[in-house]
Amino acid sequence: MMAVQPTSVSAALPDAPRAAPGDERVRIAIRNLDFFYGDFRGLKSINMDFRDRKVTALIGPSGCGKSTLLRTFNRIYSLYPEQRATGQILLDGRNIIGNDVDVNELRSRVGMVFQKTTPFPMSIYDNVAFGMRLYEKLSRADTDERVESALRKAALWDEVKDKLKNPGTGLSGGQQQRLCIARTVAQQPEVILFDEPTSALDPISTGKIEELIDQLRSEFTIAIVTHNMQQAARISQYTAFMYLGELIEFGPTNQIFMNPGKKQTHDYVTGRFG
Amino acid sequence: MAEHIVSSFDKELEGLRASIAEMGGLSEKMLSDSVDALVRRDVSLAQSVIAADPRLDMLQRDIEERAILTIARRQPLAVDLREVIAAIRISGDLERIGDLAKNCAKRVLALSDGFQSQKIVLGVENIADLVSEQLKDVLDAYAQHDVAQADDVWQRDGSIDAIYTSLFRELLTYMMEDPRNISFCAHLLFCAKNIERIGDHTTNIAETIHYLVTGVSLPTDRPKNDRTATLPEVDAA
Repeated sequence: MMAVQPTSVSAALPDAPRAAPGDERVRIAIRNLDFFYGDFRGLKSINMDFRDRKVTALIGPSGCGKSTLLRTFNRIYSLYPEQRATGQILLDGRNIIGNDVDVNELRSRVGMVFQKTTPFPMSIYDNVAFGMRLYEKLSRADTDERVESALRKAALWDEVKDKLKNPGTGLSGGQQQRLCIARTVAQQPEVILFDEPTSALDPISTGKIEELIDQLRSEFTIAIVTHNMQQAARISQYTAFMYLGELIEFGPTNQIFMNPGKKQTHDYVTGRFG
Repeated sequence: MAEHIVSSFDKELEGLRASIAEMGGLSEKMLSDSVDALVRRDVSLAQSVIAADPRLDMLQRDIEERAILTIARRQPLAVDLREVIAAIRISGDLERIGDLAKNCAKRVLALSDGFQSQKIVLGVENIADLVSEQLKDVLDAYAQHDVAQADDVWQRDGSIDAIYTSLFRELLTYMMEDPRNISFCAHLLFCAKNIERIGDHTTNIAETIHYLVTGVSLPTDRPKNDRTATLPEVDAA
């Protein structure tokens, strides 16, 4: 009788990074990052790397700082004077926290998709063209091409190609979210941030967005905040577990979900967090 | 380990563990009864072993079904997922152990007419004692999630293989001595092989326990001393 070889169950999870982590290019390097809401320290000495063309998931209970961390990458927090970050966020080696950074240019390189769908009160076409018109002067033909390409990348083209003049707000929730993704993609960013992009969507729309994120990672570096751990396990290659503003554990997704190293991570992913 | 936020999840996992324990107890009894039946030529005991097997099969199916439902309902992760997968694997091994014990018992029925040497039957009993101990230890290791004990069982299988190899040689000698021994010895050889395979299943269970507790698989090459497949006598036979 041959002994049954206990095969690794983790093989079922998507694309484990086979190369040593150091072999992949780091797109965003975070060093000693602290974040303050007034006097409250929302992030505590975060150090981690986001790798190029990988999906990195941020998980943790509400208030752990995962959305805060995501929002530092395009400095959305600068809209609020009482919020500030210290430390370094190196995007391709350049610190984006510095005062010399053009925030508008940064946001064209680091796109963001939110939990609540945010279609503008304009046509589907204009929704997609809106962002790129802010930063670039394009001919009508080029704009048409970019809009179509973005809608195709967002897996929405076939559903809207005959009604591009219709208002974006008339689409279903799942379609609206893909419209927002198309708008982000149209600006040709390098990094896309997703903040709970499917938490308001039905399972079919969620599946489409997950499929889309998996396709988008061939071109973009992706960071996603999600409360759905199975979603993180399905779509990410790296996962970070955060708690009370600290990065507790960060590693390949298979490891975090199959054999986490820290007890807090283990308790959280198995639903034992009291 | 801390309890789950959802207590019914804990109950499902406990239920799986309890059913594995029941299967373990049943398969242990089937093994020891089948060997007793062989040693004492006890036909009714052998029949009771055969009759016990459907219960073991039913438990295995039940565990498998509940494990699948738990995966569907809870989407378990980390140690919880390993626990569910371990239940599926271990119940499969225990079900096979029951089948092998049942096969031994069936041979007792076939042997009851032409029984010959008690001495050689004791050789089979000897190997069965070792395997029974392995089975008991691995079931204890499962109940306690004791990885050291599981690893110990995994290591010890080599000695069972060695004894089986020597018993194999002995039976061959009897068969060569007198062709009238062949039928009897062939049945005993199958019994011994069945019991040796039960030993293999206990090492499978030990591997599963190691994975369940540590999240890491044992190496693929485990200690092996069953050399019967390479003995020159086999080629000659």
